[in-house]
Amino acid sequence: MNHLLEIKDLSVAYGDVQALWDVSAHVDEGTVVSVVGANGAGKSTLMRAISGLLEPLSGDILFRGETLVGVPAQEITARGISHVPEGRGLFTQLTVQENLELGAYLAHVRPHFAASLDHVFTLFPKLKERRGQKAGSLSGGEQQMLAIGRALIARPKLLILDEPSLGLSPLVVRQMFELIARLHDEGVTLLLVEQNIRQALKAADRAYVLQTGHVAMQGEAAALLENPQVQKTYMGALD
Amino acid sequence: MTREKRIIGLSAIIVAALALLPFVPGAADSYLFFLLYLFFLYTIIGQAWNLVAGYTGQISLGQHAFFGLGAYTAALVWSRGLFGAEHVYYFDPLTLIASGLVAAAFALVIGFPLLSKLRGDYFALGTLGFGEIVRVAFVKGGSYTGGPFGIVLPSSLYESLRPHYWLGLGLAAGLTLLIFWIRRSSLGLALVAIRDDEMAASSNGVNVLKYKLVAFALGAFFTGMAGCLQAYYLFHVSPEGFLNLNWTLYPILIAVIGGSGTVLGPVIGALAVTVVFSYANIFFPELHPIFSGLAIILVMLFMPNGIMRLRFRGRA
Repeated sequence: MNHLLEIKDLSVAYGDVQALWDVSAHVDEGTVVSVVGANGAGKSTLMRAISGLLEPLSGDILFRGETLVGVPAQEITARGISHVPEGRGLFTQLTVQENLELGAYLAHVRPHFAASLDHVFTLFPKLKERRGQKAGSLSGGEQQMLAIGRALIARPKLLILDEPSLGLSPLVVRQMFELIARLHDEGVTLLLVEQNIRQALKAADRAYVLQTGHVAMQGEAAALLENPQVQKTYMGALD
Repeated sequence: MTREKRIIGLSAIIVAALALLPFVPGAADSYLFFLLYLFFLYTIIGQAWNLVAGYTGQISLGQHAFFGLGAYTAALVWSRGLFGAEHVYYFDPLTLIASGLVAAAFALVIGFPLLSKLRGDYFALGTLGFGEIVRVAFVKGGSYTGGPFGIVLPSSLYESLRPHYWLGLGLAAGLTLLIFWIRRSSLGLALVAIRDDEMAASSNGVNVLKYKLVAFALGAFFTGMAGCLQAYYLFHVSPEGFLNLNWTLYPILIAVIGGSGTVLGPVIGALAVTVVFSYANIFFPELHPIFSGLAIILVMLFMPNGIMRLRFRGRA
């Protein structure tokens, strides 16, 4: 079976510091895949390599059978990968509406803008109320919604969410995971990076556990959730 | 929106009134007329920098190179007969466009390596280096560029300051209108997105390098034409007069004082700089630089975001 996204023996460095060694992974269409691990495990590095913000040292990234290595970031977006980066990457000086318009920057997306905008406003009614407001004036949860909404405008074939729950209150975190479940039901393919491992595994079909730049474990998310080693290392379970 | 329409209407009336001013008997001979010409010139270079730095976030310290390249283009068109021996350079549309295009071409050639490799302060230093290279190249240009002395143009063509005034007004108003339009277009959205967060812009499908180059070249194009206009006024194009670092510092001052990243900020800034510099020069000729410097410090202390943004303080 052909995977939507396939990562083969990927090694990536940040300047002189290597952050990923021979990572292999795949994402199938319509599934939610979580990448979990401690701080500095290389999760965000992996996402940045996929969306073209970092150039790999070696290995390959295939999206619908074509390589993404050496392809500029804006071209990768055009091919259907939207990345909501850690820290959201919002344009704080622009209004909510303008941020969403930027989500429709690509020529092939623009004709669908009105319909996509309606969809995003249905998912996030708050954004509709605040469309004229500067993005920087929104609360943390609203900013995260705006970042995800902007990514959805482009109708991506693969949506990458990097730490969407970071710095949000428990109630908003719960809403965030409800949203992920809803997107999953709508058939959106999701690659989710999380430190909140229990939640991330519950939301996912498959998962990868990264440890200091290597894939330490992988498999069905439900099985990993029951895995005693995962429970011990990442969820603080007692022996 | 009505407030915006009122501003547009008011601006149109002011531009129309300024355009008719030269027909008032005696107006063209007054000192105020010269100050208005200077105000237009400052508006053009301030707006050009505003487009590159205020909207796109790329601090260029090489604007004097583009100003000089524009002026030298006009001078060389005449001295070398670049457009044929019979060709007149003075207020010639072809020469004017050529001076803008030469500056823009240099901006593309130097902008490609600088903008693709350097960010922030490093880009600024790179453009400063480029400016120096251009200056030295013209100083060492021998008989072709006239060396340190430059090229003297035939001033017998001069009749009055009216054509300079109209051309300056046209370019200043045209560029301001262009920036107003750009801010509302998808091009403007891309530029501001790049300024806010380059990485996020590219991951939304914005070709960052392309749009930075567009802004840089467009800024150079208008700065080059401003250089050509000033050459029509001075009739002496020299490294001292045109490749002087002042032509990079003035636009920065003008845009920052007025409010960079706003449509009318550089217009207000150009007005303020013209008034302060000129009147300080009249009333305190010896103290002029001190007085002007003091005015700049005061503006920055009490209006750090520029005069334009002062009115919006407290609003969302």
